[in-house]
Amino acid sequence: MTAPRSRPRPGPAPAAPSRADPRDRLRRVLFLVPYAVRHPGSPVKELARRCGCTEKELLEDLDFLLNVGSPPFAPDDFLDVYVEGDRVHVALHQSFSRPPRFTESEAAALAAAAQALGGEGRERAVKALRDSVPKDRRKSFDELSQRIYAGAPPAPDSVLGRLERAIAERRTVRLAYHSASRDAETDRVVHPYTLAQRFGHWYLYGHDRQRERPLAFRVDRIRGCQPLAERFEPPGEAEVGRMHLFSQASGEPVRIRIAPGATGWALARPGIRLVRRGEDGGAVVEVLAGEEWATRFALSLGGQAEVIAPAAARRHFAEQVKRTLSRYG
Amino acid sequence: MQKDQRLLDLAALLLKAAEPVSWREIQEQFPEDYAGTGDAAIRKFERDKADLLELGIPVRYAAGDEDLPAGYLIDKDEFYLPDLRLAPEDLALLYVAGSAALAQGTFPYARDLAHALNKLSFAASAPGASETAALAARRLSAEDVEPPPAVVRWLEELSRAVAQRKRVHLRYKRAERPEERERDVDPYGLFQKGGAWYLAGYCHLRKDLRTFHLSRVVSLTVNPAAPRTPDFAVRPGFSLAALAAREPWEFQVHPPQSCRVRLDGPVSDEVLASFGPAKRVEEVAGGLVVELEATNAEGLLRHVLSLSGGAEILSPRPLRERAREVLSALSRGLS
Repeated sequence: MTAPRSRPRPGPAPAAPSRADPRDRLRRVLFLVPYAVRHPGSPVKELARRCGCTEKELLEDLDFLLNVGSPPFAPDDFLDVYVEGDRVHVALHQSFSRPPRFTESEAAALAAAAQALGGEGRERAVKALRDSVPKDRRKSFDELSQRIYAGAPPAPDSVLGRLERAIAERRTVRLAYHSASRDAETDRVVHPYTLAQRFGHWYLYGHDRQRERPLAFRVDRIRGCQPLAERFEPPGEAEVGRMHLFSQASGEPVRIRIAPGATGWALARPGIRLVRRGEDGGAVVEVLAGEEWATRFALSLGGQAEVIAPAAARRHFAEQVKRTLSRYG
Repeated sequence: MQKDQRLLDLAALLLKAAEPVSWREIQEQFPEDYAGTGDAAIRKFERDKADLLELGIPVRYAAGDEDLPAGYLIDKDEFYLPDLRLAPEDLALLYVAGSAALAQGTFPYARDLAHALNKLSFAASAPGASETAALAARRLSAEDVEPPPAVVRWLEELSRAVAQRKRVHLRYKRAERPEERERDVDPYGLFQKGGAWYLAGYCHLRKDLRTFHLSRVVSLTVNPAAPRTPDFAVRPGFSLAALAAREPWEFQVHPPQSCRVRLDGPVSDEVLASFGPAKRVEEVAGGLVVELEATNAEGLLRHVLSLSGGAEILSPRPLRERAREVLSALSRGLS
């Protein structure tokens, strides 16, 4: 072990793209090598997708890895990752056979996401994340976890915990669901595929048996959840590719005119699309969530917005304004 | 030698070594990098050690004893990501929550989150169903979402500033007027509300805690000096969750004012909950009366208006009058 570096390196390592933080590459390869060890012969494309980089970057990473090794730098002391027929193989992994522990920011980001979804498991999950951060960094993890808050969980823990279990076990569930359009509780039997987030709300997405199609259910409107004995087949990758949270035919977009003073507020809201800016600093925006929502949104801007189109949505807005005004007569 | 290569070589050396590697030996193996006898070489090595730790690789110094020489080492148990030993539903929680958060395009530490999700497949023995669910969560949550590029950038820079406790300089658009303000802020944390992200921190202009809507930030600079030395300590008792849970009528604008709102029955749980936990509720004929303290009555007015015909401000009188004015003006414009 005391022999100085005796063998010249195979060649100068290719430089990382100048703007990139060198640590980004290191984090990538610390995952890439163990992943390629575990999945021998993975296609370059698949590996690049996994690593969140381009194929070109991945090939540059592989070139870079050829120069990594340890003293005395004999041929067997280098990492040996090679591409053969567009597939990646690892001949020598030099102990990089598993990724390193979570960094405190990796674990804290994941913990923040888990806290905002919730369920009984969240305390256990956060503890497990903490335990997989190196000992020296756990205090930093605790500190950092207090610095990100991604929202309060959307429903009673019991409902979420059961949904999460049902998703993991591919088990059919019976839901007591409050339907906003009918303002009534309905009974639904659903194959729960996953949970998804949109505009600050969580949705359960799954196949509704009676309606014979996949639907989105707002999680905060699920009042009860009973797992059933029946299991279901999960959707295949092709089916996942065709999924939509909301049905495409959600109607014509509603246009709202915003006064200059409220434009900043309005455009900061998720789900609001700018159509045009007025010369006075005002704006016209579009929402896809229907006339009811559009009216509520416009009114929430305290008199600084009105629904302008389509005609039916404008009528709805005008009626609501009149009706509400009559209360203050 | 390039830094990224040196760091990996160093990790490979220490992972392979059967016993601690002495500083002299490390110097001999990396002659171009750690040569010399001065402090400079040691400091460089210490920086590399810190970088490795940030990557999740803890390098430890072991004082020698009868059996082992003194030197540096990487404990295998402290290096390799362990199996999290989570129940399937808890694993699904991590996968689905993380994937949905990432897919939104705006999440603090987004790059770290992506790495964490990747690594998760090594931290669980049978992630099958959860991985499928995560794929679906990612697709559904990303659909039609176009995150504002500026917010993505601010989140990334603020994530670092929050972790390293570095002061930031902001140019910020004001809500009601088309002017900008410049402020120095100690970034305490990042929170999400209604799908939008906010910075919470100590504002040196106002000398108090303030929150900033990230989509109204015009420009942002993180203090570049001494990146590893914190600029501030977070005030004791600060709670990000409490700040995030504040309702708009609880923002500090004027002294507390008692307000009463009538809600027509039947009142849904959702509407009642929208008035927050700090309220008194009284049953009256045909509905409910909610009473609460407001320090920003305008915020309450807007919330009540958004419930349109089913809700009405009863008191105080000036607020009720203001509601009438707002609605009259809208009504005039409509006819």
